[in-house]
Amino acid sequence: MARVSLKDVNKIYRSRHDEVHAVNDLNLTVNDGEFVALLGPSGCGKTSTLRMIVGLEEISSGQIHFDDVLVNDLDSQARNVAMAFETYALYPNFTIEENLAFPLEVRGLSAPERKKKAREIAEILRIDDILDQRPGSLSGGQQQRVSLGRALIRDPAVFILDEVMSHIDAHLKFQMLFDLKAIHQELKKTMIYVTHDQVEALALADRVAVMSNAELRQFGTRNDLYHTPASVFVADFIGEPPTNFFEAELFTDQKGTALHVADSDLVIQIDQQHAQRIARWNESRLTVGIRPQSLHLNGDRNLPALEAEVAINEYLGERSILTLTSGACRFRAVVDADTAAARGERVRVHYAPEDVMVFSGQTELIIL
Amino acid sequence: MVDGSAADEPSGGNSALGRRLDRGDPATFPEWFNTRKPRANLIVARWVPLALVGLPVLVLFCIVVYPTVWMFYHALHDTNMMRLFQSNWSWVGFENFATVLSSPRFGDSVVHLGIYLTFGACLQVLLGAALALILYELVKNNFLRVVFLIAMVLPMMLPPSIVGVLWKFLLTPSNGAINQALLNLGLIDQHIEWFNAGMSLWTIIIADVWNWTALPLLIVYSGRVSLPPAVYEAARVDGAGTWTTLRRITLPMLKEVIAIAFIVRFMDAFKFVDLVFIMTSGGPAQSSELPAYIAFQRGLREFAIGEAAAYAIIIFLVSAVLITLFLKYLKKVLKAQGFA
Repeated sequence: MARVSLKDVNKIYRSRHDEVHAVNDLNLTVNDGEFVALLGPSGCGKTSTLRMIVGLEEISSGQIHFDDVLVNDLDSQARNVAMAFETYALYPNFTIEENLAFPLEVRGLSAPERKKKAREIAEILRIDDILDQRPGSLSGGQQQRVSLGRALIRDPAVFILDEVMSHIDAHLKFQMLFDLKAIHQELKKTMIYVTHDQVEALALADRVAVMSNAELRQFGTRNDLYHTPASVFVADFIGEPPTNFFEAELFTDQKGTALHVADSDLVIQIDQQHAQRIARWNESRLTVGIRPQSLHLNGDRNLPALEAEVAINEYLGERSILTLTSGACRFRAVVDADTAAARGERVRVHYAPEDVMVFSGQTELIIL
Repeated sequence: MVDGSAADEPSGGNSALGRRLDRGDPATFPEWFNTRKPRANLIVARWVPLALVGLPVLVLFCIVVYPTVWMFYHALHDTNMMRLFQSNWSWVGFENFATVLSSPRFGDSVVHLGIYLTFGACLQVLLGAALALILYELVKNNFLRVVFLIAMVLPMMLPPSIVGVLWKFLLTPSNGAINQALLNLGLIDQHIEWFNAGMSLWTIIIADVWNWTALPLLIVYSGRVSLPPAVYEAARVDGAGTWTTLRRITLPMLKEVIAIAFIVRFMDAFKFVDLVFIMTSGGPAQSSELPAYIAFQRGLREFAIGEAAAYAIIIFLVSAVLITLFLKYLKKVLKAQGFA
């Protein structure tokens, strides 16, 4: 059990000709027993961060503490971390059972005990039927579960899981997410989970750290990320389909203050108190975000609405996604699956003013 | 092939006519093909492939198949120098084999071969594997690694004649460099007689180990380099120390590579003649003779062709059995890992 804290951590990969700043001044504290996901697109530095925590990569500068112990110079063995690898990294000459039990073998557990624990973990991960096979003959998803099992079989201070669901098919993934969450609730261990899939991150983690371009963009619960994203990047990255963004400017008339979307006749209403706060930023160009889920067809008549023309009606089973156009502006709304809105039809989508997110046009950071 | 190209045709008009050899669009034919007379093209199309395949086959036949058959034929005849050129050899059945197998010279040479295989070939593989792993683990700088590798591979680049003469000079009992060095260091108090009856085989083995250890080293080193680094990271995270990692992970994963190194060195061991010939000529008193050397001696210097052929066939059979066993083992290892 451990609290993991990273303080001003940097990772710079140096080659002869150039250097790559993979992690830039990262500050992050994962509490004891917490499940934290590191989320970000490929190449954002999340795996580098993880490898520094595990001790597979040297820290260029900064400090990593496990509880109050500085672990910068400790190797992975001394840090007592368990890791599941994205590339599985199974021992090809061992059977699955030997693979699962290898961490226990190293720690000197007796053979019957190892066998028993390996069976237990294999049953949870549904790989108990392949225990006597070798990794070379397994599918990617099976190998990934063995890799996960090899981490879970131990009793480490921290579990580190690197993209452990990326090769598991969708149906099984759903079940595995559930199992992993259950395992975490039972073990109450600190877990750090790296993924590029926001669905996994939001489903599993107590808190999610969103990274891009080597920097931490936001660290918070799923509500924080969803409703008050720190920047345009986070608002865009979290949520499916992604948030609609509009270039807009503030204007005031006799009815009050509103946001006028550039290159179209759309007007977005906001609370009057909010308008004053936005005005204080004194920026001509603002980026406005509204989630497709916040736009309701046939919504409350008292709420403000956007009027636009239907361009595409995508049927996705349990819901449909309308792509709407107004002038040069294109945005999407999530609607009921049985919505019969044909191409070219004009519709009104209602929204609550508090669901409107406003970002600075220059820094792309949130204003409200 | 024909099926595929017919199915790929977008028009479907031609494919409806049934399977037709698709020669592609004439516009894409090379220019020489279109500018020549159709008849000439047919001749080229028919004979060029035949010539390209046939000539190498013919060469192979002349230098491999014919001599092999010739050898088997003469192993069963009392061919010697006089009879070979007068073409009047006669069938003697397995007499040549009986002569060889019952001769004490052959028996001794088999013992020599056993010693050479154990302390020459096996030692080379074990030493090479150990050096390769030490080089990989201890030297992390890429440039230094290459320098070390080149230094260790240099002996292998020398022709056997040079190696033989070099070691013959180094080990000359009275004034050779090695004896002098050992004397000066105080390790011995009189010259070691490197080339007397008890020592000569071991002397050849020393020179051969120096010459050929680099080959298993290269094989094992390249095998180690190609092992996935992620597995070693996993072992580190799982808490395995250096020794456990070596014993439980590296060596088992290198099993087949080391087996290949053994196969290569054993194949060479059965036809090992050059250093024996240059350093000791099998002597003194035939104390460093190997079967292949006797075959060479009897066949090409004394022209007892029949007997030499019998030697060659015996060596061939024994080495074939041994190599087959190795290959079986290799297949088993690969199968156990889910490959092959």
